[in-house]
Amino acid sequence: MRRNFIAGCALFAASATLAQQVVVRKGGDGKIGISFAQFRSGSDSASQTFLSVLKADLNRSGYFTVTSQGAEIAVVGQVAGNASQMKAEVSVYKASNRQRMMGKSYSPAANLARKLAHQVADEILLAVTGKPGMAQAKLAVVGTRTGRKELYVFDIDGGNGQQITKDNSIVVGPKWTPDGKNITYTSHKAGYPNVYMTGQGRPVSNYKGLNSGGMVSPDGSSMAVILSRDGNPELYIKSLRSGQLQRLTRTKKVEASPCWSPDGNYLVYVSDETGRPHIYIISRNGGTPKRLSSSGTENVAPDWGKNGLITYCSRVGGKYRVVVADPRARTQRVLDTDWADYEDPCWAPDGRHIVCSRTASYRSAIYLLDTLKDSPVALISGSGDWYSPACSP
Amino acid sequence: MTKKFMKWFLFIAMAGSLVMMSGCRSKNKNNVDMYGSSGMIGDPLIGDVPLDGGFNDGLPMDGDRSLFPPVYFAYDSSQVNPEEAGKVEQVAQHLKKGKGQGVIIEGHTDERGSREYNLALGERRALAVRDFLISLGVNPSAIQTKSLGEEMPENMGHDEAAWRSNRRAVFAIY
Repeated sequence: MRRNFIAGCALFAASATLAQQVVVRKGGDGKIGISFAQFRSGSDSASQTFLSVLKADLNRSGYFTVTSQGAEIAVVGQVAGNASQMKAEVSVYKASNRQRMMGKSYSPAANLARKLAHQVADEILLAVTGKPGMAQAKLAVVGTRTGRKELYVFDIDGGNGQQITKDNSIVVGPKWTPDGKNITYTSHKAGYPNVYMTGQGRPVSNYKGLNSGGMVSPDGSSMAVILSRDGNPELYIKSLRSGQLQRLTRTKKVEASPCWSPDGNYLVYVSDETGRPHIYIISRNGGTPKRLSSSGTENVAPDWGKNGLITYCSRVGGKYRVVVADPRARTQRVLDTDWADYEDPCWAPDGRHIVCSRTASYRSAIYLLDTLKDSPVALISGSGDWYSPACSP
Repeated sequence: MTKKFMKWFLFIAMAGSLVMMSGCRSKNKNNVDMYGSSGMIGDPLIGDVPLDGGFNDGLPMDGDRSLFPPVYFAYDSSQVNPEEAGKVEQVAQHLKKGKGQGVIIEGHTDERGSREYNLALGERRALAVRDFLISLGVNPSAIQTKSLGEEMPENMGHDEAAWRSNRRAVFAIY
């Protein structure tokens, strides 16, 4: 059952990639043509997986179009493997002057073909454009496939899905720890909403009342969390060393969804102290919060990217849309999306793409949005609903 | 300007703005504004009553939900409406007569909006009912709150009627 499900996801990702391919107009659409005409691949399954995942990753990156004609960049080399081991040699040349931009060889276990492809995709992108990629990122998502709400982890292309929790309960709001190794989430598995961290049996927060929205700080020392222990849901920072609590807000209303700034000096979060939920920024030392969102009847689910920009979900004209805000310049832009509801946006590590949930006709799937120009792409869909994606750093 | 002078200046400025803020608040109290008229249950101006310390290990996890009907809420509101107040009074009577050890108030929202925000809003609703029970003389330590956000709808529909019946606080008596 699980194997079929994962295979289904891989298939889906492949078809999504086909839809994304565009006709090459050299230099016209700003994409860099990249050719595999001089790259030889073995017929073993590891090699085939490596090549197809690599090409799909490059197309999905937004910077490349894999093509055999008029390419500006040539990938030269070979990949071969057997049941246990594989070997790949990858060089990247500029077609115009045969300048070598990258040359590496790899020999991982054959079952790591997908992982290697993601790594090579990010390395090629970095060598050619100098920009960070997202191909190696993981997605933590909540899925309803079993009839309960469990935590799952996928590769960002929607492949390699794994069910993480088997609690027969409710999982809300997963967030990665800054080292990308663990996930904090809210679960009712012990009856009351507690915050848990993968790999730890004991909850990381289980005060009386509400414990939710747990997110570990960039330096790993503390956790932002929403608690109602003082009689109302408020934003706190809990030291992960001493367990000591620092209360940041005092509003008599609802606070939710904290997310750290990349430098760990600020938190962005939701508060409805004015009567409607809006996005606020507060210093990690407390003080007066500053409101970021100005319009929309509902502004929720902020995520602060390493690029310094904050994405959040805003109800505009009766639909949930994704907003990108620059907290320094105080500018805000609503991304172009169709009639569906787009919620819970989070930045991919490339600082260009946003992963979010898309809900249409009461079914939810995970989508990739491009903040520059490409159309949305489905990443995880089918076999129940999928929502609340969190992208690993 | 010396540092000391700056400090005093800031202090006076802050005190001034506090006076202005409280002025606005008392004005609001006399109006029928978005929170309803003054003195409403769940009024955000009523002080918070801290949950009685510590962790939730060993708290009762379940109770009898069939004894009392749920309290229903308006959209995005955590205020107990006057027409729902009688339900809370019945629960208070029951507990004060010693017919139950205590109550778990389960706060729920409708499906619209962010799940994390709804989890906090469900807790706020449960706490508003808790504040009301406490004001009626129920011992705070006999009241537990548990938010389920939008995760456990009573009605699986996607229309106004479904949403109305899902915005609720349920009494589980233990």
